[in-house]
Amino acid sequence: MLVTRRTLALGAASTALLARPSLAADEPIRIGWLAALTGASSAPGIGFNRGVVFAADTINAAGGVKGRKIEIITRDTQGDPTKAVNATQELISQLKVDAIWGPTNSGESLATTSIMARSKMPNVHPCVVDSLIDTKKYPNAFRLAPSNGQWDDAVRGYTLKILKAKKIAVVGDTTGYGVTAAKASVEAFKKDGADVVYTANIDATQPDMTPDMLRARTAGAEVIVVWSVSTGMIARMLNTRGTMGWDVPFVGHPSLAAGDIASLITSPKNWEKVYAVGYKSCSFDAAGKLPPRTQEFVQRLAGHVELSDTLLWWVSAGFDAISLVAKAVEVTGSSSSEAIIGYWNTLNPYPGYFGDYKFSPTEHNGYPTDEVVMSLANSAKTGAFALAPGYS
Amino acid sequence: MLQSILASGLAVGAVYALIAITYNTMFATSRVMSFTAGQLGMLGGVLGSMFMLRLGLPLVLGLAATLVCCAVVGVLTEFIAVRPVLKSLDQHLYVLSTLAFALLIQQVTAIEWSTEPQPFPRLFGIGEGMLDEKYWLPVVTCAAVIGGLEYLYRRTLVGRAFLAVAEDNFAARALGLPERNLRVASYALAAVVGGLAGFAGGELLLAFFANGPQLNFYGFIPVALGGLGNNRGAVIGGLGLGLFQQAANFSVGGIFASVAVFVLFIILLLVAPQGLFGSSTARRV
Repeated sequence: MLVTRRTLALGAASTALLARPSLAADEPIRIGWLAALTGASSAPGIGFNRGVVFAADTINAAGGVKGRKIEIITRDTQGDPTKAVNATQELISQLKVDAIWGPTNSGESLATTSIMARSKMPNVHPCVVDSLIDTKKYPNAFRLAPSNGQWDDAVRGYTLKILKAKKIAVVGDTTGYGVTAAKASVEAFKKDGADVVYTANIDATQPDMTPDMLRARTAGAEVIVVWSVSTGMIARMLNTRGTMGWDVPFVGHPSLAAGDIASLITSPKNWEKVYAVGYKSCSFDAAGKLPPRTQEFVQRLAGHVELSDTLLWWVSAGFDAISLVAKAVEVTGSSSSEAIIGYWNTLNPYPGYFGDYKFSPTEHNGYPTDEVVMSLANSAKTGAFALAPGYS
Repeated sequence: MLQSILASGLAVGAVYALIAITYNTMFATSRVMSFTAGQLGMLGGVLGSMFMLRLGLPLVLGLAATLVCCAVVGVLTEFIAVRPVLKSLDQHLYVLSTLAFALLIQQVTAIEWSTEPQPFPRLFGIGEGMLDEKYWLPVVTCAAVIGGLEYLYRRTLVGRAFLAVAEDNFAARALGLPERNLRVASYALAAVVGGLAGFAGGELLLAFFANGPQLNFYGFIPVALGGLGNNRGAVIGGLGLGLFQQAANFSVGGIFASVAVFVLFIILLLVAPQGLFGSSTARRV
């Protein structure tokens, strides 16, 4: 028989095609993990990472997903969008990952989302900026944490419905996030008929917060809503409130509950009546108990993952992100981007530890708004918080 | 409100004035504007917090250890960022070298210390409200530094040697003065002043790596306002800047307060380019 180059090429191609399923069955599921593990915003990255590692170890210890092991390929972005872009390109082009979890802060995500969209890379992230989720522009991107709009809704709902405040002061820092978030918050309060009596963007390094606090008090503010990640600025505002002998409640950004604040306030009293954005799944009820599913997760983590120096929601969201990819491969039997994205679009809901995620082809904001609640800022215990007063 | 403007304005102004003196002291013997001045202020706060809160040293030992470390950084600045570029002062390479060294100090602090503000200890526990030590301590420190420098420059041989080098380093060298050693000593002295600024202002500014650029920026304004090399002008400029900044915080607030400071700065420089207390120099043509 005459073997031509054409038949040889066809034979080689068909052999490769036939061999592919068995190769895929043995190949690990490669998940890219864009983590800010060092640098200014590394605390969440370290917390998420503990959940990621625990999820991968747990799945692999149980034999993997249909025999395929989970392989986490981590790249430390240091919170730098440039490094995040480079790492994204490396994960997609060279390392050929099946899905990407992260980045975990909005500045990086704004830089990487369109790159991932171009290569149809399944991407799940917890970043809050609303514009990062757009099912038409980025059909591959899914959010498993609340958007800033959902945080804003929770803060506004608590301020107006539970604290029943009518005169509001809204304060942000002078970063891009602080300015944008404060502006959106003011507009939403006004839309709901509240009287925003004072608005300010404060330089986070300003050593004395007396001017702004005095102006807010003079304007008659009944609540101060804070949008800032600067623990220094928040602690100074709380200390000034204490010095002024003013018991106005603070409501706002999760940073109001950051552990660093404990060492910066001049008296523990200064941290009372402070309510930060939190999550039902990671909150103690009045009896001091976590929801049953979360309690079961905490028991699983015991002895494996340290919770005393991090937040429970970071660990549980990291765990859920890896589980979402694993589940997609398990159900569809494929790690192709179409299979993973297609599966995620059908989730209604997926019962994760951080929340019950619901996705559809037209809605990729998967976190339920009613799960976003306010926490008592000074009540941290093993990474979880007590619900703020007023929730039944 | 007036009390708050005075207390907070004078305190912050005194820290700015001390940073301005740091700039001036380094400039006097080298003709170099070293942009490490603000970082030395930052280090004063960070090292003070580290020695006293983390390592548990008492005030005197904590202060001494902080100032020794700052002096070492000052000497390193002279060796690494200043000496190699002295031969080409007219090319202003020192801007690049001192800024690079300042950035290095800041990044190392961020990595080794923390990127979040950390507490600074109460030093004496004296005073409350507007009379709290965090407000008057920087002012007292500023006054003590001015007094000390006046004594050094006017009453001691070393101080007079500093002045001689500052006046004309070629003539000073011709007279047999160890110009190079005096320059190194002046960088150590400047670093001690910068460290004192951060230490005295630590309760107000906290131990925060990002204070460096802030102090670099606002510490430079009194230098420009008071006239380069003029310590008395720097003190008046620094205190005036602090008061104006705090008054602007009260009257216009937030972002606009910084704008107001720089608008005033630009107007003053247009009116008096040599600084309010500087003298214009003739250039031979």
